[in-house]
Amino acid sequence: MAKHATPLLDELEKGPWPSFVTDLKRQAEKSPQCWDILGQMELSYKDRITHWKHGGIVGVFGYGGGIVGRYSDSPDKFPGVAHFHTVRLNQPSSKFYRTDMLRKVCDIWEKRGSGMTNFHGSTGDLVLLGTTTDQLEPLFYQMTHELNWDLGGSGSNLRTPSCCLGKARCEYACYDTQAACYGLTMKYQDEIHRPAFPYKFKFKFSGCPNDCVASIARSDLSVIGTWRDDIRIDQAMVKKYMAGEIPAEGNAHGSRNWGKFDIQKEVINLCPTGCMSLDGGALKIDNANCTRCMHCINVMPRALRPGTDTGATILCGAKAPILEGAQFATMIIPFMKIDPENEFEELVELIEKIWDWWMEVGKNRERVGETMQRLGLPTFLEVMELDPLPQHVKEPRSNPYVFWKEEEVEGGWERNVKEFRKRHNM
Amino acid sequence: MAYDPNNPMADRITDIGPPHYEQMFPPVIKNNYGKWLYHEILQPGVLVHVSETGDECYTVRVGSARLISIEHVRELCDIADKHCGGYLRFTTRNNVEFMVDSKAKVKPLLDDLASRGNKFPVGGTGAGVTNIVHTQGWVHCHTPATDASGVVKAVMDELFEYFTSMSLPAQVRIALACCLNMCGAVHASDIAILGIHRKPPMIDHDTITGVCELPLAIAACPLGAIKPAKATLANGDEIKTVSVNAERCMFCGNCYTMCPSMPLADPEGDGIAILVGGKVSNSKSAPKFSKLVIPYLPNHPPRWPEVVQSVKKILVAYAKNANKYERLGEWAERIGWEKFFEACDIPFTIKSIDDYRLAYNTWRTTTQFKFTSHVK
Amino acid sequence: MALSKDELKAAILKKAMESPKPQLYVKDFYACDPDTKPRDIKKAANELVTDGKMVFWSSGSTTMYAAKGRAKDESARGV
Repeated sequence: MAKHATPLLDELEKGPWPSFVTDLKRQAEKSPQCWDILGQMELSYKDRITHWKHGGIVGVFGYGGGIVGRYSDSPDKFPGVAHFHTVRLNQPSSKFYRTDMLRKVCDIWEKRGSGMTNFHGSTGDLVLLGTTTDQLEPLFYQMTHELNWDLGGSGSNLRTPSCCLGKARCEYACYDTQAACYGLTMKYQDEIHRPAFPYKFKFKFSGCPNDCVASIARSDLSVIGTWRDDIRIDQAMVKKYMAGEIPAEGNAHGSRNWGKFDIQKEVINLCPTGCMSLDGGALKIDNANCTRCMHCINVMPRALRPGTDTGATILCGAKAPILEGAQFATMIIPFMKIDPENEFEELVELIEKIWDWWMEVGKNRERVGETMQRLGLPTFLEVMELDPLPQHVKEPRSNPYVFWKEEEVEGGWERNVKEFRKRHNM
Repeated sequence: MAYDPNNPMADRITDIGPPHYEQMFPPVIKNNYGKWLYHEILQPGVLVHVSETGDECYTVRVGSARLISIEHVRELCDIADKHCGGYLRFTTRNNVEFMVDSKAKVKPLLDDLASRGNKFPVGGTGAGVTNIVHTQGWVHCHTPATDASGVVKAVMDELFEYFTSMSLPAQVRIALACCLNMCGAVHASDIAILGIHRKPPMIDHDTITGVCELPLAIAACPLGAIKPAKATLANGDEIKTVSVNAERCMFCGNCYTMCPSMPLADPEGDGIAILVGGKVSNSKSAPKFSKLVIPYLPNHPPRWPEVVQSVKKILVAYAKNANKYERLGEWAERIGWEKFFEACDIPFTIKSIDDYRLAYNTWRTTTQFKFTSHVK
Repeated sequence: MALSKDELKAAILKKAMESPKPQLYVKDFYACDPDTKPRDIKKAANELVTDGKMVFWSSGSTTMYAAKGRAKDESARGV
């Protein structure tokens, strides 16, 4: 029986898309706190403003991450949500689930919280939405003891790493994204659970330049699969595409008639480097000039595949706009082998070098991309002991204001102005 | 042993991480890990992946509200138990994927999903609109300038035909963040729906002493608009507080995050901005940021008609005019942004001209442009 | 010469108790021992939390430290 009238929210029960309002009402029959979620949300719909407050000293003992404090500003009206903290569970890499495990999470959450969840939070966690402080320790105990399942990150911590589905079900994956994501998640449990940095730090792992986890847009350390040999071509399959026997892009355009497939127009002319051509019916790729953008492979996946000398490009410093404006990650290392056998040694070494530098020079609440921008890419490359490459820039600088160092200039900077004056009258 | 409230540290387990991903894989995934050859979309929402072993994995993708109950999760599990051997997965865009290992199992799965009302819409593949990634909004966030789940529901209801078909020139990624913090990272989306504030923070002198560290609040402002100040309370007490130079405020809300006595949310001030043309993929063109094309639309719950119609208008103009494979931002760049505003029938306002950091990069420094109706 | 672990922890706790600001960033503790690397200072500060002498305060996006009893908490604000 509904506790509050919700005429505005009820409007969101109409229409073809699944309704979270209908779902909340369904859960409320079992979890009465949900009536107060609906009640408070209805008030927000009426007032056009939030009624939540945040922050504070809330968490499981010894952890500085994984729980985010949340309180209603109208606890008298909505006592069921007076204290309503968020719990972030570290999702399994690429979000495959076994139903028996999921059902146990549901059972625990039915007992310990509101019964509402997010599958998933923006960073990737399985989010449990709303519980009281006294339930946090028992919930954590049950998750760790009964399910061997730990919390994710929040605050100035390493945030829960995430990855695309990679080799599990994608033919484009150039390295094992799950293994890398899981391996580094396990290695850096301390950094995920306890604050470590000037601000948040995110890892994201994508298996190819299509970047399905948006790592280039939102991770401080972005690992994107690539290859450095030639695209594999099956000329017989190219011919089948040209004959229209196989739908382009895996039939991604299947609901509209775009006419007969035209390899010149749809692939060769759209190649950003113009490195493809048709030669007597055979598709030629000038691989030395290919920038591995994926378009031709996306359009003809049965004819073209990434090369076999695969690894990843490492980029650094992406973030959403707060505060200095949005940044994409900057390309730092063109190619790195990502090898579970050596426990990702090269990547780990780079990560820790970045952390040591950023912890030293980063300002409070400054993402590493902002530190890079403030101190400059040349400084960053020097500290990381990386050789400068033309690949690091889109184009060389257009201003001449180089910060020369004294040791780079013959004879140094010490000069005698008296000697100078002997030769040059005022 | 069960949890003992009198001895909460007994047998404590910490830092064990998530369950290993491999135990979550259905057999067809585990057996073909790294062996996939190609995929094809059989119909909107239904994919087949083919392995070099000859195995096939059929995937049915369904939309989800992201904000879901455990009753809903249990229903997902029921479906996965009945058809998929007890496994399922979620995509990065909050869709649910049911996987089966033979074509014969697809139709019973689709029939089952269709029999459960509108809870499990099949689609979200290829050149269409897939699920909207979004944030918490009024259901659980302390700094939102708009709701998230409600706006998403209203927009997806209107764009539903594009979720269940693949008729657009390319995929269109829509994202919503309920404030400028963008925990949804909407800044590289084809269409971004962004909650914005437009009133500077108020200062609650009566509570500020108790709840705020003033230096933190002052340091939180990216534009140095917050300064130390003094105020006299009703009881005559003189306290240390802060003042805000409203002319310098960019309405980011960063101060409120550090100091709850500086609320800025407001029913009239808050609303939604629309940014378009961003992308994440490196395919063809480099990743791009979304650009601000509509600076403000009001918050009109429960169904945000102005936002829904604006998004639809942009999508329809794009669908009509863009070339095959062309992402929304690629189309806008090809025709020129001046033409984009005309094609979408969106008024160009001074708010779209950048005056924040690095603004100059976006100013036109060539005589090359197109004459549109904007030039009188 | 870097301080010993115990000396470092004592210095961090002293700073947390005596600083005019109750809530401190990890960076505020760096000055407790300029000869110790930031990562080790962070570890010592986190150990003090495990020891029950300090607490974490989090805005959700940012985490700070406070000596136990000194931090401003929502529940203490008469929620």
